[in-house]
Amino acid sequence: MRLPALPLAQEREGFHAPGIEIFEWPDIVHLEVAGIDLSINRVVLQMFLIALLTWGLFFFAFRSPKLVPSGLQNVMESIVDFIRGQIVLEVIGREGLRFLPYLTTLFVFVFFGNLGGVIPPIFFPLNGRMALPAIMAICSLLLFISIGISQQGFVSYFKNALFPPGMPKAIYILLTPIELISTFVVRPVTLAIRLLANMIAGHLILSVFFVATGYMLTSMNISAVFGVGALIFSVALIAFELFVAGLQAYVFTILSAVYIAGALEPEH
Amino acid sequence: MSESGPEREPSGRGAEMVWSIIGTLIAGVLAWGGIGWLLDRWLGTRYLVAVGIVVGMAGAFYLIVKRYGSS
Repeated sequence: MRLPALPLAQEREGFHAPGIEIFEWPDIVHLEVAGIDLSINRVVLQMFLIALLTWGLFFFAFRSPKLVPSGLQNVMESIVDFIRGQIVLEVIGREGLRFLPYLTTLFVFVFFGNLGGVIPPIFFPLNGRMALPAIMAICSLLLFISIGISQQGFVSYFKNALFPPGMPKAIYILLTPIELISTFVVRPVTLAIRLLANMIAGHLILSVFFVATGYMLTSMNISAVFGVGALIFSVALIAFELFVAGLQAYVFTILSAVYIAGALEPEH
Repeated sequence: MSESGPEREPSGRGAEMVWSIIGTLIAGVLAWGGIGWLLDRWLGTRYLVAVGIVVGMAGAFYLIVKRYGSS
């Protein structure tokens, strides 16, 4: 009689760490209009959902506002208050209050987009794909340019932006290209990449940790002990990602506010 | 709540300054490095991109010192 092979002796497939391919999703609905790929995949569905959620939260919170807020209105009011007090009044001042709706929506949308990374069963940060951070950064760019033009006039705005006052005339040859790139290219690009990179890094770390934890716990050898430690640490990592989701939404919003503030009044 | 006295620096300003300094440095390298690279392609040389990067860095430092040096 032959003994069956022990499970321990079985050859297990080696550990494969998840890579950047976890950011790619197959099309659910393939759609192409005039050569432009408008296919809908999981990420697009998630984006629709979050846009709807952001709209719905504000709509139902303020549909029939009460003087003494309760429930949802209370929560949403504290978010608006936070953006108003900590970002708009702090960075722009009173005249910035007309941009409060934009900045609040931006904050909530970015935050929910990031939050998907730690919410089961979604587990995917929307802003881990370049499309949304890029579009939002372009929105902020176009907004502060148009504010600058409407506030200071076309010529005056670009003159102030490209020729920082109080410098010797000759040095502008050196500085104007730097200012051009810095204001109109580096600003939106860093805004988008900062958010994107944080979300990609966070999602990769979480994925690697969870896959590795599962691998170690089922390994039937000493690694299982480390698996328990990794499991505890993964919970801490989720808390950390939650913090990053909020922080990056805050950073994106406050820097947009800073750029708006810069466009409202010329440098002196 | 958020009562900012005249002597207290608003918290947004610190972040603004840091990002602005980093942004200016990147922009300096990109702008003048790019000009150097284009000149390299045009003139068939190979060293102007390096010169451009150094010039851009210097310009960015000048801009940063002028803008934030005295405050």
